[in-house]
Amino acid sequence: MANSKITVPEAIALVLTVFVAHSIISMPQDILATTKSSTLINLTYVAVIALLIGILIYKLIKNFPSCDIIDISEYLGGKVFKTIIGFIFMFYFIFSSSVIIRNFSEGLKEIFYPMTNIVFILLAFAITCCITNRFEFSTNIKVNLILMPIILISILFLFTSNIQNFSLRRVLPILGDGIYSTFITGLGNLGAFGGIVILYFLPPFLKEPEKLKKITIASIFIGTVYLFLCVGTLLFMFSYLDQIEELLPLYSASRYIEFGTFLQRLESVFLLIWVLEIACYLSIFTKLSSLILKKMCNCNDSRPFAYITSVLVFSISVLPANNAIAGLMESMVYKYLVFAIVFFLGISILLLANIKKRRTLNVSNK
Amino acid sequence: MSQISNILKKIFILIIIIVFMIGFSYSYKALSIDNVAFLIALGIDSSDNNNYQFTFQFTKPISSGESGSSEAPPSIDYIVNASSIGSGINLLNAHIGKEINLSHCKLVVISEELARKGIYKEIYTLTNDIELRPSSNIVISKCSANYYITNSKPVFENLLPNYYETFPNSSEFTGYNVKTNIGDFFDSLVCTSREPYAILGGINSESANASTSINSQKDVNEKANSSPVEGNVNSDNSGMAVFKNDVLVGELNSLETLCFLTVQNKVDHFLISVPNPDEKNAYVDIYMTPDIAPKIDVKIVNGTPYIKVKLKFEGNIYSVAKNTNYLDNSILNKLSENCNSYLESNISNCLYKTSKNFKSDINGFGFYARDDFLTLNDYKNYNWNYKYKDAVFDITVESNVKSSFLLNQT
Repeated sequence: MANSKITVPEAIALVLTVFVAHSIISMPQDILATTKSSTLINLTYVAVIALLIGILIYKLIKNFPSCDIIDISEYLGGKVFKTIIGFIFMFYFIFSSSVIIRNFSEGLKEIFYPMTNIVFILLAFAITCCITNRFEFSTNIKVNLILMPIILISILFLFTSNIQNFSLRRVLPILGDGIYSTFITGLGNLGAFGGIVILYFLPPFLKEPEKLKKITIASIFIGTVYLFLCVGTLLFMFSYLDQIEELLPLYSASRYIEFGTFLQRLESVFLLIWVLEIACYLSIFTKLSSLILKKMCNCNDSRPFAYITSVLVFSISVLPANNAIAGLMESMVYKYLVFAIVFFLGISILLLANIKKRRTLNVSNK
Repeated sequence: MSQISNILKKIFILIIIIVFMIGFSYSYKALSIDNVAFLIALGIDSSDNNNYQFTFQFTKPISSGESGSSEAPPSIDYIVNASSIGSGINLLNAHIGKEINLSHCKLVVISEELARKGIYKEIYTLTNDIELRPSSNIVISKCSANYYITNSKPVFENLLPNYYETFPNSSEFTGYNVKTNIGDFFDSLVCTSREPYAILGGINSESANASTSINSQKDVNEKANSSPVEGNVNSDNSGMAVFKNDVLVGELNSLETLCFLTVQNKVDHFLISVPNPDEKNAYVDIYMTPDIAPKIDVKIVNGTPYIKVKLKFEGNIYSVAKNTNYLDNSILNKLSENCNSYLESNISNCLYKTSKNFKSDINGFGFYARDDFLTLNDYKNYNWNYKYKDAVFDITVESNVKSSFLLNQT
């Protein structure tokens, strides 16, 4: 049992997976399009807010040791409320997984499999989900922990090896489209910190639940640095990313890496790493969805539900008729879902549950 | 029961394997080396009725027996008249029975005639191509693109793609040509703070050689198609092509290109000829090395861009005659002053040429002008690309000619 619990590095890697997966698709470009040359200021500002939100979540959730958001919602509103909240979070996980694999598969199709129907690529990811979810959750998390340093090193490599193509003056004018755009409409970039959702589900899995604060701060800090590297690479390299939509912007940046004629075409290595990362992300999100389903149905084993969630992810991912709709789902719908579900709904449940707990304690004390 | 379940599992796995084999085999087949022809150079010329004439160059596979041959590397060239790049490739696909793949295309040549009409569509289309790498060099040819490609034969290389990839590298140690590629060109085309430029190419003809006067001060004024060099290398890539948006507006010769590259800090070392302080009408060749990165400062004064460029170089004397004393500090100081005035006047002329004649900020001074604006809207309203024609330049060069190489006193 002790082995099935998550250690601090594993938990940090788990939160970072969400940051990384969305950065591979179009998140850095969406951030750039919102705030243009003031992106780095905006990202600092948004990261501070995300950190405050993370600490707030920690403060609220620590009063419910070993409970996740589903257990807390049951405490708050009973079984019906738990089921509703469970469905909402399950929808969030399944929807974001579908959006990710659809957009990433579009890129893979264009680059490597021009003649293959996208359904086959999506099916490959869905089958991967089914297979990985047959194992324990801790297995997926351990694999994710092995992969995470490779991903972080690869993005650092992408940044440093492109330095020769950088023009640091692209960060000017420092306020981009203005103060309002940087600090008010730029708040939309909080959507990049959707990885915070994992914090709601972490407590029951943690080996050392008292270290949740450390996990929260470390994961948001590393995630911010990671986003800085991604966005910085694109901002310093390209003049046009705020005007022209690229399929996989980080892939475009990786195509510029060349060390003379000695080392060229490293983008395939990046794609290989990103395929593994997307598979990890999908396994984790489908596993979380199956765990929610298990709780909702009061079952002992979550594994049978993994097939259902994988099929749902696959089904939703084939729905968009074209790349434009799939892109819109990522850049618009997902962003609002993060705000609505992760920041508003999650925090509201925790706040109300804390108020209820305090009242109950007061009544029992009296 | 478990046996049946095992059998079902195996059947399921088998079905999945078969499904994936079928699904992915089409892509494997399409990208298989047997079905693909790798393009190494693409030439684009304008043709009648708004059509294009494309030149597609492929390498010819060399058999083991031919590998020691001293002849020029073999190539296969095709000319296709079509209405767009896509349809040109498609027509040739049908003709050669293979699918053209641009992932090894090292060179895109566009004729001067077409470039003067505007090449927006071509550049966007090529950038949109997933196979074409952003590092492919872009050349604007003084002659037709077809003539350039078919007559570009390397001498020191056995492989044409290698030659196409590496020939612009000489810009780092001569400064007479530029190194630019499709990726940079596209970025400059879209950017509001910089204008695009390209390598200027041509094929040396006998008449061009004959008309070139040999003079230590004038041989740096050469540009493509008018090189004083004679020999086996036919293609000549000196100078650079300057664009305003997508339209070719002018050319810079070798010296002007050198000046451009010094401001860009893209030249490692270069040779200049300055008047000899000891001898009238004589010149001294000096190897200059940039000491520190250029300091560029752009201020908007009364609505006009005021551009200050400060450059620092170290110099080593290359040409040595009899009875010279390069250990004498006064001679070195005079040479330094000569270098300063020579570089200042040439760099200034080059920059004024880009602003007054071409109205094109190929140097990207617009990025430095952004310092003066708080928001992008302010910057856009200022309309840098329009105002650049009024720019005033203040060039300061500090040279320090230190010594000769081996012989300091003769």
